[in-house]
Amino acid sequence: MSQKPLITTKDLSVHYPLRGGLIGPTPFVRAVENVNIEIAPGSFYGLVGESGSGKTTLGRAMLRAAPISQGEVLFEDGEVEYSLKNLGKKELKDYRKRAQLIFQDPYAALSPRMTVRDIIAEPLEVMGMTKSRAETDERVREIAAKCRLNVEHLRRFPHAFSGGQRQRISIARALVSGPKFIVADESVAALDVSIQADVLNLLKAIQEEMGLTFLFISHDLSVVAHVCDHVAVMYLGRLVETAPTRTLFSGPRHPYTKALLSAIPSLDPDDRGKAQKLEGEIPSPTNPPPGCKFQTRCPFAVDRCRVEEPLLESAGTEHNLACHRWKELASS
Amino acid sequence: MSRLIDVENLTLQFDTDEGRITAVDDVSFSLEAGEVMGLVGESGSGKSVTAKSLMKLNPRNAIYGEDTKITLHLDDGPVDVMSLQNDREMKVVRGGAISLIFQEPMASFAPAISIGDQMVEQLLIHTDFSKARAKEVSVEMLDRVGISDPSARFGQYAFELSGGMRQRAMIAMALSTKPKLLIADEPTTALDVTIQAQVIDLMKDLVTEFGMGIIFITHDLGVIAQTADKVAVMYLGRLVEQGTVRDVIRRPAHPYTRGLLAALPTLDDIDAPLTPIPGDIPSPLERPSGCVYHTRCQEFIGARCATHVPAFSQVDTDHAAGCHLYGSAGGTE
Amino acid sequence: MTETNIYDASVDQNAKDAYFTASQGQLIWTRFKKQKAAMVGAWVLVILVLSGIFAPFHTPYDPTISGRDKDYLNGAPTIPQFCDDNGCSARPFVYALERERSIKTNFRWVTTKNTEKRLYVHFFVEGDPYKMFGLNFSTHLFGLDAGYLHLFGTDSTGKDIYSRTFHAINTSLAVGTIGVFIAFVLALIIGGISGFYGGWVDSSIQMVTDAVRTIPAIPLFMALAAFIPDTWSSEERFFFISIILGFIGWPTLARRVRTHLLTERNQEYVLAAKLCGASPAHVIRKHLLPSFTSYIIVDLVISFPYMVLSETALSFIGLGLKDPVNSLGVMLQNVTSADVLLNYQWYFIPVIFFIVLVMAFVFVGDGLRDAADPYGDTKK
Repeated sequence: MSQKPLITTKDLSVHYPLRGGLIGPTPFVRAVENVNIEIAPGSFYGLVGESGSGKTTLGRAMLRAAPISQGEVLFEDGEVEYSLKNLGKKELKDYRKRAQLIFQDPYAALSPRMTVRDIIAEPLEVMGMTKSRAETDERVREIAAKCRLNVEHLRRFPHAFSGGQRQRISIARALVSGPKFIVADESVAALDVSIQADVLNLLKAIQEEMGLTFLFISHDLSVVAHVCDHVAVMYLGRLVETAPTRTLFSGPRHPYTKALLSAIPSLDPDDRGKAQKLEGEIPSPTNPPPGCKFQTRCPFAVDRCRVEEPLLESAGTEHNLACHRWKELASS
Repeated sequence: MSRLIDVENLTLQFDTDEGRITAVDDVSFSLEAGEVMGLVGESGSGKSVTAKSLMKLNPRNAIYGEDTKITLHLDDGPVDVMSLQNDREMKVVRGGAISLIFQEPMASFAPAISIGDQMVEQLLIHTDFSKARAKEVSVEMLDRVGISDPSARFGQYAFELSGGMRQRAMIAMALSTKPKLLIADEPTTALDVTIQAQVIDLMKDLVTEFGMGIIFITHDLGVIAQTADKVAVMYLGRLVEQGTVRDVIRRPAHPYTRGLLAALPTLDDIDAPLTPIPGDIPSPLERPSGCVYHTRCQEFIGARCATHVPAFSQVDTDHAAGCHLYGSAGGTE
Repeated sequence: MTETNIYDASVDQNAKDAYFTASQGQLIWTRFKKQKAAMVGAWVLVILVLSGIFAPFHTPYDPTISGRDKDYLNGAPTIPQFCDDNGCSARPFVYALERERSIKTNFRWVTTKNTEKRLYVHFFVEGDPYKMFGLNFSTHLFGLDAGYLHLFGTDSTGKDIYSRTFHAINTSLAVGTIGVFIAFVLALIIGGISGFYGGWVDSSIQMVTDAVRTIPAIPLFMALAAFIPDTWSSEERFFFISIILGFIGWPTLARRVRTHLLTERNQEYVLAAKLCGASPAHVIRKHLLPSFTSYIIVDLVISFPYMVLSETALSFIGLGLKDPVNSLGVMLQNVTSADVLLNYQWYFIPVIFFIVLVMAFVFVGDGLRDAADPYGDTKK
């Protein structure tokens, strides 16, 4: 990679204490464990996993909205360099301008008691980025137009809008402070198919226009395949495979990625039942299995997988995966 | 195959504070025994309401249209669902001939009663089994849907099971009364893909084994392609297209179905641009006149679309669409 | 089958725009207005509250011993009339009452109506002096130039029950207001801290709250009643009761405030604000408090009748306010004797007002709750 990455995580772990009993050690949920990711500037980076894989927590950690237990998250956009673990108050405030989040649920993410104008203007006011109300209004109008919101509608309250429109308001709020890095957490999952494509296209257009970097978190591999240039697959808090989109979708190497891809129901009615089906369910992150986290469901697991945890290793240009047996499996 | 259910001119409106809302508008379809029908639509399409109408499960403010006729063909003769009045009469249909499974299995299990007890109770109501026999059947069913150690699970509560297991338990419960028709309302939407694949497989097996009819409601065309024999596409309460699964997915006739397919990201060609359907789904309070889809339609063919409701016309054998592209001068004003 | 849109497009557009730009408060109000029972309740409530506040003005007499009609004890209501055997008059009148003790009456006091002597009802008459809003007045809305007019009759000491009833409403509302106010301030602070910080702060505060909730009310009241010295004036007693009610009433409200805060602070839009670097003060001011106001109003209205009821209950069992003071509880207590049931049924008139007042509060509270509930939206 020639360019310096915008976001780098180094052995990042996020552990949440569980509210346990008073006696004995507090149990921890190891939501994210030893994750190394590099996101290049201008990239549309996809993060895929099932529920409980820790993808949301990883995204939040990159925004300093989840505690960084071990390791580091580095942010570098050419103007500033931050290590998110030790940010001062002033630096954190500045980082908030540079990194923002778009939520999943377009209903819960907007306060029902504020007009659209106030919602979009809130970051500006909180961060003190504009000097006068007129300037704020100007900026809000500008960004609303970019997100294809009708300027007439700014006086309205969120209850007047449909899901797709609400999600565009949510996007406008995230963009208004002029961030460099955006985490979009399942941002189209709650939308209808016909609207989802529209929001995806909008995100892509904005990214190109404003030169943003996206971390696109999703459980939907088909969506990720269409919009992202890089994909990382997570399972139970670990990265199992990362690769450029094309490489990953044309030649997945990790058994989990393969299973995930084949589980997507095909649109071809004559292509039934060919899929290689995965048994069982994702284990609880409070009580992960020893060794490779995927060994309980992996059809190729051997004794080694049950004791030793595989590390992420290179399997080609920018293609990394964590599996003990990928070479054997590839040749067979 | 024998005819299982006939739905004719189903119209359903709701009285709300904001006015009368049309949720389902003149929908007709039929289903054979052992057939899986996919009912596709986005939010507000009325697909769930349609399915619930078959059991008259809609809330009190629901008003059925006068022409609505739903006939269920049972072994001892046809049942006119619309004429069933009280709960006692409805027993034949609800939980008897028709079972329902939901998107959120947690909601359909009482939290304080074990799964086994609920299954037994349901069997005691709808069959003449003894208690011991009912328990036996329930454990058998749990085993059949792939729940490991079924006799231990029998005594567990819904919250003790994982999402996939809960969905399986609900399917077991729905099937234990041997219904003629199973309505599955987004049964896989809340599940992860790997679990979804398991549940779809299970349901396919069960159809072959039990030979019942299934109405599979979903917004996911991929799931439909994998499970259904025929498809009905709904938009804003109207049936816009109906046909065999191959016809509808490979040769969609209605502009809406085409739009849906174009908007759907697929893995076959990841570079293909996603084409959204322009505009938003109108609110049910502002139902467009004429063809309900004309406000977003990209194959709009003039004023007739905005003023005349298109009639359902045959495009091919077993393939029909409600669109002026195919109709002659037909359509009602 | 087509739906026809015959209405004027521009009117429709304006109506739509009004709905889209309506704030939550306006939406709640719109929904509230649609509920008939609640609207009736609201009107009744407004009338009762106003008549309570302006009681000294619109009632003809001082409700204490100084305004009593000593010639008409336990007297039946006197209803103004326009016509009698001697003809009609444009101005309503009552008959003069004469009290007499003689051989004829077996030396007992007997009150008789003198149907020959009419006393005309006048408006804005001068009468007993009273204080309202700190000013001295003596004008009453209506009254007689001479003699007494008792719309609801009199009690055993000759006090006008009409005047007493409305003064009682005033007193009970005042006790309720002070009680609710104290309870609410406590609830907001305690519930607010508990909900905003969560964690162990929340747990320990909840423990205290639960402890307070377990205190049985009646024994506590009895102990307190024993504690109140007889030398206290009715005003002191009055404030004491209000404060006690406030201190007993807060846990339920505090719990609701806490629950609401706990859900609200985990809302995604609160997280969005925090991700912009918003301070706790901003989050509280811009998100938590506004989300609250509708619930607070609803809670206030709902808890109000309980305060009035508690005051009434206390006074009724003789632990709260005592007879010279006019409160609904005192009035209620007065109807408990068999004598009243058999002979002086007009004592029950204040009871009707009491029931109407509580019902009005309950209807309005229910209506507000339904209107403020976002899930109350009937969207199929």
